[in-house]
Amino acid sequence: MPDTVVNLVDSPALGVLIGIAGVMAALTVNVLFLVWLERKVSAWIQRRMGPTEVGPFGMLQTIADMLKLISKQLITPRHVDKPLYHIAPVFVFVPVVAAASLFPFDEHVSLQNLDIGLVLVFAFGGLGIVGIFMAGWGSNNKYALLGAMRAVAQNISYEIPLILSTLSVVLMVNAMGDANTNGMNLAQVASMQHDKGFWFVLVQPVAAVIYFIAALAETNRAPFDIPEAESELVAGFHTEYSGMRFALFFFAEYSNMFIVAMVATVLFFGGWSGPLLPGAMWFFLKTYAIVFVMIWIRWTFPRLRFDQLMSFCWLVLIPLSILNLLVTAFIARAV
Amino acid sequence: MPEEIREDDAGAMGESYYLNMGPQHPSMHGVLRLKLRLLGEEIQDAEPVIGYAHRAHEKMAENRIWPMFLPNTSRVDYLSGMIYNLAYCQAIEKMLDIEVPERAQYIRVIVSELNRISSHLLWIATYVMDIGGVTPFLYLWDDREIILDIMDRVTGSRLTYCYGRFGGVTMDVDDLFCEQTSAFLDRLVGRMVEYDKLVRKNVIFIQRSKGVGVIDADTCRQYGVTGPSLRAAGVAYDVRRAEPYGIYDRFDFEVPTLTEGDCLARYDVRVREIEEASKIIRQALRDLPGGLVMPEKPKKKFKPSPGETYFAVESARGHFGMYLVSDGSETPFKIKLRTPSFSNLAAMPKVLRGTMVADTIAIVGSIDIVLPEIDR
Amino acid sequence: MRAVRAVFVGLWSLLVGLAITIKHFGRTTILRKKVTEQYPHEKPVMSKAYRSAIKLIRFDETNSHDCVGCKACERICPSFCISVDGDKVDGIRKKRATHFEMDFALCSLCGLCIDACPTDTLEYSKLYEEVGYTRHWKHDLLKDFNAYEAQFVAEQRAREEAEAAEKARAAEEKKAAAAAAKAAKAAEAAKAAEPGAEPVADPAADAAAEEKKKKIEAAMAAKAARLAAKAAATPAPEES
Repeated sequence: MPDTVVNLVDSPALGVLIGIAGVMAALTVNVLFLVWLERKVSAWIQRRMGPTEVGPFGMLQTIADMLKLISKQLITPRHVDKPLYHIAPVFVFVPVVAAASLFPFDEHVSLQNLDIGLVLVFAFGGLGIVGIFMAGWGSNNKYALLGAMRAVAQNISYEIPLILSTLSVVLMVNAMGDANTNGMNLAQVASMQHDKGFWFVLVQPVAAVIYFIAALAETNRAPFDIPEAESELVAGFHTEYSGMRFALFFFAEYSNMFIVAMVATVLFFGGWSGPLLPGAMWFFLKTYAIVFVMIWIRWTFPRLRFDQLMSFCWLVLIPLSILNLLVTAFIARAV
Repeated sequence: MPEEIREDDAGAMGESYYLNMGPQHPSMHGVLRLKLRLLGEEIQDAEPVIGYAHRAHEKMAENRIWPMFLPNTSRVDYLSGMIYNLAYCQAIEKMLDIEVPERAQYIRVIVSELNRISSHLLWIATYVMDIGGVTPFLYLWDDREIILDIMDRVTGSRLTYCYGRFGGVTMDVDDLFCEQTSAFLDRLVGRMVEYDKLVRKNVIFIQRSKGVGVIDADTCRQYGVTGPSLRAAGVAYDVRRAEPYGIYDRFDFEVPTLTEGDCLARYDVRVREIEEASKIIRQALRDLPGGLVMPEKPKKKFKPSPGETYFAVESARGHFGMYLVSDGSETPFKIKLRTPSFSNLAAMPKVLRGTMVADTIAIVGSIDIVLPEIDR
Repeated sequence: MRAVRAVFVGLWSLLVGLAITIKHFGRTTILRKKVTEQYPHEKPVMSKAYRSAIKLIRFDETNSHDCVGCKACERICPSFCISVDGDKVDGIRKKRATHFEMDFALCSLCGLCIDACPTDTLEYSKLYEEVGYTRHWKHDLLKDFNAYEAQFVAEQRAREEAEAAEKARAAEEKKAAAAAAKAAKAAEAAKAAEPGAEPVADPAADAAAEEKKKKIEAAMAAKAARLAAKAAATPAPEES
């Protein structure tokens, strides 16, 4: 029984290549669909129609947009820091692909089943910030710089409650399982929920809420879309980017959104477990449901101010998540 | 205005830097350019740079005969064009002592107040958009669209009306107009309750607006700030009440005032003004008399006796004055427009100092400026 | 305590907001109530007041416009976008427009020209898909009329001739009637002057006089009846 897709092929290097190609293809299709979904849902919320012209329900609209972005001339503004400016989109894009390859889509289907899966996901998430700051700094534009600074401050701050809230789940998994159980292993967390027969959102509601809020901030989604607040900073860190370079930022942003939704699915909503339908289907259904909520929230609320955002993180979320972690630890110890 | 900010004064600048906000910026209303001196995200100094939409309306007036200025008026402030258009008509009527039929007077009030509602709806929409909420924007434009349709049926235009004529209005209204208008007002009541829940009570909205951009009554008086911004600071000044023009003295309405003077108060004042305007429209529809709206063809050419006329109306943005000077010829000697947005913007450097970049957008948005009106 | 309450009020406000947006989401998706008008697929109907480029009215009686090229519209236009020329046409009284061009790219749709027109032959068209590919988007308002112009002139000439003939005939008749009346009067005077002559008995005049008399009598009777009724209704003070 192959544990991961990579193990299907004899040569590990070839397996990794195939895996990466597969993840990139899957992610691209997924992003195209997500962008369509976002446009359609936002349109429906706002009593509009959304894209209707290209393909059925306008589903091919994003493909047309992508073709347009690919075929556009790459414009490099005159005063940019060229190495940073050129490499930044790649730096944002690559960690996303790497992180996406770590998830258990079904009981035994994942590209890499690592014991430190959870840590790696957040590590890759943190790497993306470097790319964002490179973009903001390299663009030599004040709006981009402001956006990048905001992005760095925000992402670093919100990573703390994000990880603390997931840590309480890890603690719980370790306490509930046997000696071989590893709460950092995403596949094991999902299987644990399947075996126990309940979702962890029921026992860890506070962690789930904190995770969700922090994830919104981590992916720069409204109401925390401060790094690219279009009414203040034009487009934030990617103000000076166009064409395919912009598309890479866009791609990373939507994939990031999908990745945090996948983490939430695995940690709090039972991953692939569910009746009747195949596991992968359940996995994606849950993930898309979470993505839908994120879209719904984005098109409902106004944006917080930067200082409010930071004080919300440091004064509310972090103490709350630490408290939650402590309580979980005590209970885990006691049980 | 603050003293001129000099770019080369590096020593005095310290850690601070300049940010040019506008004239091309997604959330600058029109083509305002704000020269901001920032320390981090905090604003040390702000200097509005205006003139990008200057179209020489006042000079244009001096080169044409009196009626030819009519289409210009609604383009001065394209969001409440009707009020401006009728203000010019009423100024000329005051100058020439022209009698206006009762029915035309009532129609003028109805369309002006409809225009005020549409302008305030648009303000709420753009203000929420400025602080990041996109969806209320489209709901409010949906409502505004109905007003535009109603106005389209009677005036023939949707935005830049040229409906008034000296001594009346161009077209009479029909029963359908009255029905549509009252149906819209009924619908608006429910919608405003919804916006109250969706926007006004939203905790993020309150956080972003409460205590932000306070303009106190003294500052208002110093800079000549009028309109909802002034009423939000606690001064109950409304031209419709202070020096009633047209037939406004016949209607029962209130001048809503609040004392806080912040963005939230400005929001509340506008919402209540929408209610008051609805009240006025209902009364006007009830009392609408019969008769002609334009008894005779408007005068094409006339030579007013030399002299000055000043006529003020309450536009959606504040005290709008028209100062006409005639030298006894067919063309005006001078037409001076006292536009409210200009004075309202003048108070900005004082208010913006010490706020953050995100608040700048909210505050500049909250005073409801229309750039073509400032630049003229 | 108050802070905790504020937190819950805040959270509640967020949930209320979400409920409102999802309600609208449902209205669009399930009830299919859309607000957007899908423009190229659905064509809007313009209201009767809608203002687009001006055009000349085609009157039913003449099957043509009534523009006399007086330049009133050209003079009042604030955008200076109208240019009109008129010329005398042989055989008809009024001048006719020979050139009427309007630059829609400059027009501000104020309608002053329509107010100014002395023959009321201008109105707004209802075109709404007017776009220009240059900075000048000229409309030749006489374009639709040029083909009929010769016909119109001929017809108008005939009409005016007929009118003139009618007028002449009317004048003739009036003259004849006046002459006849004069002659009759003279004859009457002559007859009256003739001694012992019977007065001319005019049965029609007699009938009219009779009717008039009857009418006056009826009116007087009615008035008397009314007065009597009034007297009966009001009791006399002496009797009480």
